[in-house]
Amino acid sequence: MSEPIISVRDLGIRFNRGRKRKRSARELITKGRTGTPVDQFWPFRHVNFDIHRGESIGVMGRNGAGKSTLLSLLAGTLIPDEGSVTVRAGVAPLIALTGGFEGQLTARDNIRLVAGLHGMTKDEIDDAFEEIVDFAEIRPFLDTPFKHFSSGMRVRLAFSVVVRLREPILLVDEVLAVGDRRFRRKCFQRIETLLGDGQTLFLVSHSEANLRRFCERGLYLAGGELRLDASIEDVIKQYEVDNGLDNTSGDDDVEAAHDDLGDADDSGDF
Amino acid sequence: MTTSIMGRSAGFTTGDTQTTADRARRVWEYRRILRLIVGRDLKVRYAGSALGYLWTVLEPLAMSAVYWFVFTQILHRQIGFPPFILFLVSGQLPWFWMSGSITGALNALRGESQMVRSTSVPREIWVLRVIMSRGMEYIFSLPVLALIALYYLKPPTIGILYTPVAIAMSFLLLMGMGMIVAPAAVLLPDLRSIVKVAMRVLYFLSPILYSVTDVVQKRGGMVASISSWNPIAGIMVLFRVTFFPQEMAWTYVWHAAIEVVIIFFIGLFTFKRLEASMLKEI
Repeated sequence: MSEPIISVRDLGIRFNRGRKRKRSARELITKGRTGTPVDQFWPFRHVNFDIHRGESIGVMGRNGAGKSTLLSLLAGTLIPDEGSVTVRAGVAPLIALTGGFEGQLTARDNIRLVAGLHGMTKDEIDDAFEEIVDFAEIRPFLDTPFKHFSSGMRVRLAFSVVVRLREPILLVDEVLAVGDRRFRRKCFQRIETLLGDGQTLFLVSHSEANLRRFCERGLYLAGGELRLDASIEDVIKQYEVDNGLDNTSGDDDVEAAHDDLGDADDSGDF
Repeated sequence: MTTSIMGRSAGFTTGDTQTTADRARRVWEYRRILRLIVGRDLKVRYAGSALGYLWTVLEPLAMSAVYWFVFTQILHRQIGFPPFILFLVSGQLPWFWMSGSITGALNALRGESQMVRSTSVPREIWVLRVIMSRGMEYIFSLPVLALIALYYLKPPTIGILYTPVAIAMSFLLLMGMGMIVAPAAVLLPDLRSIVKVAMRVLYFLSPILYSVTDVVQKRGGMVASISSWNPIAGIMVLFRVTFFPQEMAWTYVWHAAIEVVIIFFIGLFTFKRLEASMLKEI
């Protein structure tokens, strides 16, 4: 097999549990690493894995296990305290989706701006513009300032721009849980199409139905480490065993819908 | 480094292997995005209203007018060189670039937290953006200076050749300070008020209202030698020699040249040190 598209080596990141004021003030002057203060914790440490082109990976773990943190590290928006992350292709991050959108500018201007910020050239944006507008279903509001958009419309537009970036790696953080049901189905279909085209997918979700649907491989974060790196079925099974869950009864879709609502607080910043 | 489907370069490594050269290369790769946001900033600034251009030059001109009034109409001017209004404006315009950049840097990352959290655009870009937007405003304000010089029939001297040097030195100084202030403002929310006070103090301690020769002639000794280490002083000298060749003071210039390089490297180092903690807090 060719060179992995993502390589993660001995990865670890540390957060401060309490308020940080005093520490960062000192950090400005000293080198910062004066012992290990008690109020720090590591969501995970010593994580190693390789991802190859075209793989689809689902990330599981309880709240606070570091799933979103891992995604941010892969997006390059967090820097590890230990180890390294190497990403060898462009990334389309479906994280903090509405970042870069300007409230005062119209949807039209915002599409150009945000697509540009994510690296698309003018010509590429011209080519993609109609498709983005149609996918987001916001044509009547093209010249409406973004601040007047409903939150659902904002996310729809943002999703449409980022998913159109056509980067080889797609990072998805629970965004599938937003928008109305029809739009969600459209997003699922789009992601399936992209997977069919050989995109690499990284999906953080609590919905087992979504994980089964999109992912072949699973990463399970628990207890401050990468507990399991295996097929998605094995990872889901392990997760259920560890958390005393029983999945023999009940409908996956009902459960998924419930998960989507129940975990809205865990779903990021949009 | 591989390329993405669209032919852009893409991909990155974070963690123990990143060097300053890697970082510089990534910033260079994102120059198109930098152009995009600086362009948008200027569009917002100038096209926002018909008076857009006037607003950008209004503050330095108004301040110059006030100082001119106080120092020539009420007090007897003993500082600077005539025509005093030209002297004032030639110092105010670059000063507004400097102070605008430093106070703007306080918000360079904080104000773009959503973007910083969602894209891997090198974080230095957000600092560069502030300094370049303000720098472009400075450049666009130069015709006003030319008009005032024309009014007084004061032709530029050969010293105008130092202006690009002064711009380059300002850029290094501001980048260095910006790379310290921008991540620090995320970690220390109260930095804003400290920096604002510091900028006001610095304004009066720097030869902007007055000339470096005033310091040398009126005080000399210790005061002059300390003030010669203020990098803003040396830069102001170079900005002003265009119309005031008597302003040239090489000691100030050399001191400033050494210092801006040192400050720039301290900025690079500080930014690298604070970046990881900044990203966790933003």
